[in-house]
Order: sequence, then C-alpha cells, then structure tokens
Amino acid sequence: MAVLTVNDLCKTFGAGTARANRVLDHITFDVRGQTFVSIVGPSGCGKSTLLNIISGVETHTSGEISVTSDAGKPARLGYVFQDPRLLPWRSVRRNMLYVQDADDEVTRRRVDTYLDMVGLGKHGDFFPGQLSGGMQQRVGIARAFAVEPDLLIMDEPFSHLDAITARGLRAQLQDIWAQSKKTVVFVTHDVVEAVELSDRIIVLQPGGRIFEDITIDLPRPRRQSDPAVATLQAEVLARLENMKAMTPQVAAAG
Amino acid sequence: MTATLTPRRSTEELASSRPAWQKRITSDRAARFTFYVAAFALWLVLAGLFERIPGPPSVVDRLVEEFRRGEVFGNFADTFYRFGIGVALSIVVGILVGVLVGLSPMARAFLESPVMVALSIPAIMWAFLTVMWFGFGHTSPIVTTFLTAVPFMIVNVAQGVLGVSRDLRDMSSSYGVPLRRRVSDLVLPAVMGYVMAGIRFVVIMGWNGVLLAEWFGGSGGAGYRARYWYDANQFAGFAAWVVLFVGVIIILDQLIFERLSRRAFRWRDAAH
Ligand SMILES: Nc1ncnc2c1ncn2[C@@H]1O[C@H](COP(=O)(O)OP(=O)(O)O)[C@@H](O)[C@H]1O
Ligand SMILES: [Mg+2]
Repeated sequence: MAVLTVNDLCKTFGAGTARANRVLDHITFDVRGQTFVSIVGPSGCGKSTLLNIISGVETHTSGEISVTSDAGKPARLGYVFQDPRLLPWRSVRRNMLYVQDADDEVTRRRVDTYLDMVGLGKHGDFFPGQLSGGMQQRVGIARAFAVEPDLLIMDEPFSHLDAITARGLRAQLQDIWAQSKKTVVFVTHDVVEAVELSDRIIVLQPGGRIFEDITIDLPRPRRQSDPAVATLQAEVLARLENMKAMTPQVAAAG
Repeated sequence: MTATLTPRRSTEELASSRPAWQKRITSDRAARFTFYVAAFALWLVLAGLFERIPGPPSVVDRLVEEFRRGEVFGNFADTFYRFGIGVALSIVVGILVGVLVGLSPMARAFLESPVMVALSIPAIMWAFLTVMWFGFGHTSPIVTTFLTAVPFMIVNVAQGVLGVSRDLRDMSSSYGVPLRRRVSDLVLPAVMGYVMAGIRFVVIMGWNGVLLAEWFGGSGGAGYRARYWYDANQFAGFAAWVVLFVGVIIILDQLIFERLSRRAFRWRDAAH
C-alpha cells in the first residue's frame, strides 16, 4: 500500500506576481510502505520545497498530497535535516524526548534503544555542543526514527559532513533501516549515495519535473566496495549525463 | 625560501615567563580595585575643595550613628519588601507579556506604543503619580517600582523571542511539538540571555523607582530617610544613605545576577 501519494503537484513561489517562479511542475508519484526512495536532482530543482510541502511547513499551489497511516491514527512524520537542529540547552536525551508524544517509561526506553543503535548510548546526558558534527547528526537520525514515523523524510542529511564521517553514517543508516523498515523519502544531490541506499530513485530535473524513476535492485547490505554497487552507480550517473544533454538549462548551469 | 613567523608561544610558556606581580596588577580584580581607589581619591579631593561636599570621616560617623540608632535595618526592611514585590511582579509580568508580544504580531501591534510610552516616562513621574493615586504606604513605592521596571523586561524578552532560531521553530512545527513544550523547551531557554539582561535592568530601574517613591511618599524606607537628612540640611547624613544605596545595588548585581546567569548558561560552559 502506498504510504505517500503525490498527485499532479505544482508549486509556484510568488504566484500571480511578476517574479512568479514555478519550482514543482505536475509531479506525480507514490511511495509504498517499507521502501527507501531517494529524490535526486541538481541543487535548486525543488527537492527541499517538495519535502517542505510533504511536512506541511510549506503550502502547495495545486494538486494533492497525502500520507497514509495504519490504524487510522493521524500520520506521524519524522525528519532529518541538513543540519542537526538540536536544542543546544537540552541534553541529547531531552532533545529526543522533545519531539515525542509522551514522556513515559516506554518512550524513554525506545529513545535509549535508538540512541544505542546510532552508537550514542553513553551520550544521553551530553549537551549537543559537547559532540562532534557527525555525532550530532546521528542524534538527529535517532530522534527521527524514535518517533516511529509512518514516513521518514531526510533532506541531504550527510551533505555537511566530511566524506569519511558521511560514509560511516550511511552504513549505520542502512543498518537501522534494515532493522526498523520505515518508509523513507531521502533527498540528495549525490547519485552515488542514492544508489547505495535506495530501492528506488526519482530523478528531478530543473524546472521541477520528474525525469526518471529508477528501480535499484541490489542485495543488501550494500557496501561501497562491492563491484555491483559501483557498476550500477556508474550506469545511473551516465543516464543523468543524458539528462544534462537534453535539458539546456542544466548544461548552462554546469 | 622559508618565511619566518614571529615565534608563537604556548600559554604555558607565557604563564611562566611573566612574574607573579605582573600577573596580579594586570588582572580584572586589579582593574576593579583601581576604580574604587580612584573614586575614593576623587571624593577626597572634591570634599577638600567644596565645603558642601562632606568628606569620608563625617559620612562614616553618620553611618555608624545611623546603625546605632537602628535606622538602617528598619528602613531597609521596608524598602526591600516594596522593592522585592515590585521586582518579582515586573519579572513575571514582563516575561509573560514579552513572550506574547514576541509570538503574536497582533499583540505586538497592540502593545508596541504603550510600552514605548512607558519606557520614556521617568521614574520620578511615576513616583508623583502613584503618591497622588495611592497616598502614603506600601502601595505607591511597589507600583512605582513595577511601572518603572516592567517595560524594560517586556522589551528585552520580546526581542529575544523574535530572535529564536527559524530552523529550530521549523523543526518543532514539522514534528508537531505542542505549544506549551515549545515555550518551555525552545522559547524560554533561547531568550534566557535576554531575560537575564532584563532582570538586570529591572533591578536597577526598580531600585531607582522604589527610592524615589519613598522620597516623595513620606512613609518610611531608605529613600524617606535620605530625604529626612536632606530636608534637615545635613549633607553627611544624606551622603551616608547614598553610600548605602550604591553598596546595596552593587551587592545585588554581583551576588544575585552573576550567580543566576552562571546557572542559566551551564549548557554553554559545558560545551567549551
Ligand atoms: N521561500 C521561498 N520563496 C521563494 N523562492 C523559494 C523559496 N524557497 C525556495 N525557493 C526557490 O525554489 C527553488 C528550489 O529550491 P529548493 O527546493 O530549496 O531546491 P533544492 O532543495 O533542490 O536545492 C530555488 O530556485 C529557490 O530559489
Ligand atoms: Mg535543498
């Protein structure tokens, strides 16, 4: 069953003014439960805008969007942002509890479980400022998983980290995802990262249209060193080169 | 070719290269001490030059005398009672109204002008007005303290609320964090620095207010006692009370304020 349904979605910033800017142009796709879907595209093509519309922080101009939850409860969403977005004056554990519905024994235990999963079981009482950037981002990831969301959305969560830290976190994300099987929409401009993580890649082109919808059928866990992964990464990259050739704006943007 | 840098020295080297006396005379404490010595010397000079400025010996005499007569504790007890209530009210009301003004554009539009007007009214006007309204007693100094101090709290807190990180607010609303928790865990800690600055203003402005109201209110208290000596043309007595006012405000500021802010910013110190 589809957890996320996006139907004919359009977004124009400053609609009706001289500076109207169409960012999303008739986007239609859906995401089935327990799949990991990446949305890939050059920066400025509207990826964050799409996520903000899904999360309700941003309004859309036309079309429909819906998130389905099981058992008829209101849908719960989890978010991982580009930066950790932690409250600097609250401990790691209090930061995790901040977004939870309840503050009871069960919730606390769940929070500690996810902290353990990202390898920060001993850091619950630390303040964010006492952790490295990579550790803070892991708290952000644990926080999102710990709300047990129907849909988890991640906006370039590793793009601010150095390559080695990012690689470690990708491996960890795969492990947590394998254990929890949440439905994930993951935004990135990095095709290589998308191939490593996803079941499916939706490619957005500038102007906000879907260029391609690629299924990645590789066994998990995937490791960067696996030749099959590398081959597919090269193949997908080549297909995106194709997109650049076909859309003049991208060629100009470089 | 190699460029030569000016030699960089470690903090350890720096520490051991300077003799102890040099460290002592360049310390913060030495600077503070220098100020007090200079102020005292200036007082001596002025008292020597002008007959109407009492010198330290006569002021100290007066102080001792006031303590012996039991005037100091009784009057300060009255003053602190009024000051304490006025300041506490200013802090509580100032935080509530400040958060409201910061969060709601409608409240901001409505309250902007009255707060600006209140800020520009000097304490002495409130002292006159409240004595007219409430007569002699505890009420007028309490209300004067409150009215003088509360606008500073409101403005500071509202400023802080407006500056709360957009990213953290977006994070909170995308996770659907309830308003109460958003205020207690996001807004209040974020404005803590502004609250502290506000409290400092409240204490200083409130102290002004309470003394002025007592000066005109004729109902006892430190301000009233200073007026008593002023009316009697006894400048040493008047100056003795001024010394007490200044001493109290310094102690309040150093002891309470410093300690409060150290507690509030524990997370910041822990991080570095
Ligand atoms: N609040 C906004 N108001 C006006 N234009 C915006 C706003 N947010 C984003 N845009 C524009 O929308 C386009 C897509 O932005 P964004 O979704 O952030 O791209 P991406 O995340 O893919 O890099 C950009 O051209 C950007 O200038
Ligand atoms: Mg973006």
